Formats: sequence, structure tokens, C-alpha cells
Amino acid sequence: MSELDETIQRLVAKKGVKGVIVLAKEGSAVIRSTVDEDLAAKYARLIGNLVDTARSTVHALDDQNDLTFLRVRTKKHEVMISPDPNYILIVIQNPQEH
Amino acid sequence: MADRREEILRKQQRLAEIRRMREERRQALLTNRPGQAAAAPGASTRPSAPGAAGRQDIDDLVASLVGERRGSLSPTRSRAPSISQTLAESGRSYSAADAMRSGSVSPIGEELVPGAAAAPAPAAPPAQPVIPEFSTFDAVILDLPPKERLAYSKESQTVDVAPETFVIPEEEIERRVQEQREKDEKARHQAEEQERKRQEELAKQRQRIKQLSEDEKLTIEQSSEFTDFIDHSSRLVERALNETYDFMTDYTIGQQGEVEDGASDQIKLYCCFADERRTKNRSVTDVAWSKKFPELLASSYNRNPLAVNEPDGLACVWNVHLKDRPEFVFHSQSDLLRVAFSDFHPNLLVGGSYAGQILLWDTRAKSEPVLKTPLSAAGHTHPVYSLEMVGTQNAHNLVTASTDGVVCTWQLDMLAQPQELLELIHPSHPRTDEVAPTAMGFPDGETDVCWIGTEEGNVYQVNRHDRADSKAGLNVHEVYRGHGGPVTGLHFHPLFGPVDYTDLFLTCSVDWTVKLWRARSPSKPSIAGHRTTPLHSFEAADDYVYDVKWSPLHPAVFGSVDGAGRFDLWNLNVDTEVPVLSTPVGTGRALNRLAWDKTGRRTALGSVDGNVYVYEMGDLVVPKSHDFAAFQRTVQDLAAPANNATTSGIPNGSSVAVAGTSMGLVGGLAERAYD
Repeated sequence: MSELDETIQRLVAKKGVKGVIVLAKEGSAVIRSTVDEDLAAKYARLIGNLVDTARSTVHALDDQNDLTFLRVRTKKHEVMISPDPNYILIVIQNPQEH
Repeated sequence: MADRREEILRKQQRLAEIRRMREERRQALLTNRPGQAAAAPGASTRPSAPGAAGRQDIDDLVASLVGERRGSLSPTRSRAPSISQTLAESGRSYSAADAMRSGSVSPIGEELVPGAAAAPAPAAPPAQPVIPEFSTFDAVILDLPPKERLAYSKESQTVDVAPETFVIPEEEIERRVQEQREKDEKARHQAEEQERKRQEELAKQRQRIKQLSEDEKLTIEQSSEFTDFIDHSSRLVERALNETYDFMTDYTIGQQGEVEDGASDQIKLYCCFADERRTKNRSVTDVAWSKKFPELLASSYNRNPLAVNEPDGLACVWNVHLKDRPEFVFHSQSDLLRVAFSDFHPNLLVGGSYAGQILLWDTRAKSEPVLKTPLSAAGHTHPVYSLEMVGTQNAHNLVTASTDGVVCTWQLDMLAQPQELLELIHPSHPRTDEVAPTAMGFPDGETDVCWIGTEEGNVYQVNRHDRADSKAGLNVHEVYRGHGGPVTGLHFHPLFGPVDYTDLFLTCSVDWTVKLWRARSPSKPSIAGHRTTPLHSFEAADDYVYDVKWSPLHPAVFGSVDGAGRFDLWNLNVDTEVPVLSTPVGTGRALNRLAWDKTGRRTALGSVDGNVYVYEMGDLVVPKSHDFAAFQRTVQDLAAPANNATTSGIPNGSSVAVAGTSMGLVGGLAERAYD
């Protein structure tokens, strides 16, 4: 079992975690995901856009600044997005299940 | 003036002209009139103007007209209702008056038209029109209109209410409905448009979301960039996931859940640090908390006999917010025995190995040490079981001791050779002059003098430098004798609170005991040989005691761990014979090391099974205000019988021993007087 598998397994095993998705640059491809393909593609598309928007917003506010992490709190769950210039990690969790 | 005259002249000429023309017109009228009136009375009388000559004609005409009207009235009345008649009447009287007022012919000429039409009607007697006028007037005008209006208003009353709100808005509604329909239509169009666009976009996006082949995925997954990303980002997410407090909690919503007891006299396992891949089959040899980051904890490990390819020594930095994996992993060529954070550089971690190497890792670097001592006679060549940072931010050193009796002082930025090297020897020892330090401790604030626990069980004072009254090295005159086996741990009472107890220290040993000592002041070393006995011996353990540490929060509390896997918590103010709490930890295998965190609320226990257990201490370690004074009394009570025992225990001791005892007694008395 590779380190990546281990990491994803560990994340998924956490209480309340619904899914883990690893995307390539700006959501252009799904590298790994624990949710079904359509949903992963949807996330890839939408979160990719969201990260773009968020990053450009941060840049627009202060060009010395950069986006490092995104937590999107919704009624149903929380989406934690760790954006990197080249990859995006998405973890969907239900914070009420702690 | 000439102009003016000319103008007047011109005007006079025009006047004359006008007069002439008028005369001409009158002449023409007088000559034309009779013929015209006879030939076409309705068509050509209009332009004629009344004149003195034509007055007779007009009078005749009027007379005939009046007569005609009288005559025309009767047939009209008989045929039509009187409304029209009255209207006709009023209309006629009006036009007659008009004609009289203006004096022009044209209305009269108009009058001529009906007159001519009615001319053939016979003239009626003047008394006739009066009677019918009466009857029709009264009956019709007064009665009919109110009746009709009443009927109308009745009708409208019922229709009024509904239709008024219904009928009028109906058009409006119709209009609105129409509008709405148009709007809906538009919206639907737009929605369709959007949907289509979205579909297109989706299709585009689908094209954009590449389907990676397995090979491509593998390439990405194996790139170091990707590995680093996963390592870093998953760490962030895991920390976030470990956050138990939900900041979105809505307290207005009733929450179910068990109510936790606030004050508990229990300690609670907070977490257990282990890494399946790295720390399996290894034992924890040391644990240490970071002073800068209270959530960080370092642990060192010995070798894994089953994994020959893995490095022998391992140090991990754990984060209490990241329970599943270490923040950092550091390697060593030899089994690690001790590890510590540099108090003055939060990024640096130092370790002592079984081979005698001192290693320095940097959290900003990779897992290999950034500095390490060479394996040569310049430094340690034996296992380093003691390692301590002493000094201040601006002047600090690392002091290490190996079991061959070498004490080295290091500068953290220069590990190639020690700054100082001191060999401990005991020349007056009956069997061997070698000293094997297995534990070392500095009192708080002290950098020059330390106490070492040795393999044989004795504790000695060590001066690092030459001084006026003593030489550098082991102080052979000062022997703390009490343990029957190697000393495994030595810890001075930390400096905190209102009372200074830094002369007290605890030792533990494989002889199953923990002993409390009072260190003799380093500034007043006894020149003559003196044997110090412990203030108290705690003998509750049923196995080797591997480590003992004072609580940094409560003056009378310390913890100890033993080979049976038990963690004992002592509170000397409560009981000096048995621990206030004794709990089995983990799998029941031996516990090697114990470390209190900065706040004193948590302890980390390093186990032989490779796990680091972090316990939350609860209220047991929280001192009350009287605890400091109470501990002073406790220490005196412990010291008094100890002193008595010394005097009675060595009845035929040398005079030196007696002198020492008396000194101890004096000390005890002084303390009592102070209390």
C-alpha cells in the first residue's frame, strides 16, 4: 500500500469524513477519489472554479497574498479544500459527527 | 412731416375708397334683392345685410315665420314627446334672442330654412298650443327621470360591489396575465438558453476534465511534488478534522448529549501516538515536550530488529492536534536514547544515541540530522543517557554525559568537537575509579553544578568547572547513597510558585524505589566525606521504576512510571506512602519515560510497546493556595525522621558522619523555626 493510499485511508477513516478527492491542476482531472465518478467530476469542475475565483480574489485584494486553504461550511457538511498551484485536495466532512 | 402728410393723405384716400365701395354694395343690394328672394330664398339670402329699405321685407318675413311656427308646433307635438318640443322651443327662443342681439341677418336667414320647409302648413289658432304644453311638461319631466335613476341605482348596487373590483381589474389582470405570460415565456427562453449553454459548458468541462490513464496517474502519484503536496495538505486537513470544537454550534437549538462531570479525580487518556509503519517493533526511549509550541512532543526510538533497512534510530515529533501521524520524522544511524527540543530554537531537536553520537535535526530540513558529532575519542564513545540544555537565550550549552563517565559541553552550531570535556573519576572508590552516569539533573537556574545518578546507585555532585574551593569533576566527598541499583531517573524540583524547593530532587532506580533527596548547597560544599541519605523512599512500585518527574504545576505532585506498565501519581501533601493514583497504561508493557507538558495538565508516557500515551491529568494536579505551605511542612516531617534515622542508624559512625548529621539537624531546626 502506497503512502498516498495510506493517507487517503486514514482521512476516510476519520469520523464524519464523507469523501476525499484529489484533483490535478485547477480541477482539470481527478487523480483519486473515494466518491463516485460523476460526483467527483462535478466537484472537480465546480471546486476548480471556486478555487480559481478565491485565489484571484485574494490576489486582487493584496497581490502579495496567496490562498492557502479553503473551508466551505454548508448546512449539510463542510468542504475542506487545500489548494496547491498544481493539485487540489478536497475532503468532505460532516462536522456535527465529531 | 412730409411723410406724415402723405400718410394722412393715403389714409383719407382709402377711407374714401371704402366709403365708395360700401355705397356700391348698398346699390347692388337694393337692385338685386327682390329677384333673388323670389327665385331662391334659402340659398342666397345669407350674404344680404339688413338695411332701412329692406326692413319692411324683414318684418313681413318675421310675421310669416311666427305664424309658420305656430302652425308647425301642433303637428310636432302630436307626433313626438314634449322633450323634443321644449328643446325646439328653447333652441328657437335662443336663436331668436341671438338674432336680436347681434342684429345680423345670418341667423334669421337660417331661420328662413325651416320656415321655408314649413311654409305649406296651415296656420293654427294661438290658444291651441298652451294646453298640451301643460300636460306633457308636468307628467314626463318630473316623473320619469327619478324613477329611472332609482331603478338604475338599485341595479348598480348589487352589481356595484363585485364588478367594481372585478370588472375594472379584469382588464388589468388580463394585461398582467399577458405580461406575465410574456415574461414567463421570456424566462423560459432564457432558461432554455442557459440550460443549453450549461450543457455546452458541461460538455466542454467534461472534455476539460481529462480522463487520466493509469500510467498517467501513476506518474503523477510518484512525482515528488505530488507526494509533498499530499503530505502537506493532508496534514492540514487532519489537523482541522481533529478540531473537536465546532465553531458553528448553535446553542439556541437544544442539544442532546451526556453531561460530562466537570471535576473529576480521574486521569484520562487523551491520545496515543504511534505510526504503524515507522514505530512498530520499536520502543520509546524518551519523550520531551516543546517549550515554544506546547502542542508538540518529541519521542525517540530504538531500533526495529525486524526492519534492517530502516534506520536504527528514530525520532518523531508529534502534534496533539494531529493524532494519526508524526509531524516530523528524523533518523539516526544508531538507536536513540534521549531526545530534547532546544529551548531556545524551536526548530531544533537534539538527540543522544547509543553509539555516543549527538545529533541535531532541524524541522526546516529533511529527516537526516543537519549536524552530528563524529564517532571519535573527541566526544562520546559510549551510550548517552543524559542530555540537558542549560543556560539562557544568549549563552546556552548542551551538556551530555555518557556511561563511560565523560561529560561534554557542546555549542549547538558546532558539533565537530565539544567545547569542554570532563572525565569523571572516583579515585577513592573501594572497587573502581570509574563512574558510569545513567541520569543527570541540573537544579533550575544552575548551570555549573549538576547531580548525576550512577550505575552503582549512588548520586554524586559534579562541578563542571574549577572553582576556588573545589576542582572540576566529581565531588567525591558528597555521596547520596540510598539506591541499591542503577539510577534510572533524576529530577530536580522546578522553580515555580511562592516557595523555592529547587534543592529537592527525586531519583528512581531499578531497586523498585523512588527517593526524595535534599541537595546540599553547591556553594557550601562539604570538604570532608559526607554521606547523605534520602529524605524519603517511596516503595509502592512492584517493578523497576524507570522515570520520575515533578509536576510543573503542583509543588507536592510527581509522577513515576515503572516496568509493570503502571503510571503512579503522587501527591505528598495527601499521602507519602502510596500514590494518589496508580493506573495501568496501554498494553501493560514497561513504561520507559515520562514528561509533563509545559502547563502541567498533560503527561506523555513512552512505552516499550512503541506507543506514546498522552494523559490528561484533570484536577488532581491543580494546586490549592495552601499547597505550597503544606508541602513545606510535609518536607520537614519527612526530613525529621530521616535525620533521626541517620543518627540512630549509624551508632558507631565516624566523627565526620556525626558532624554531618548534626548539620542536617541544624538545617531541619532552622526550617522549623522559619515555618
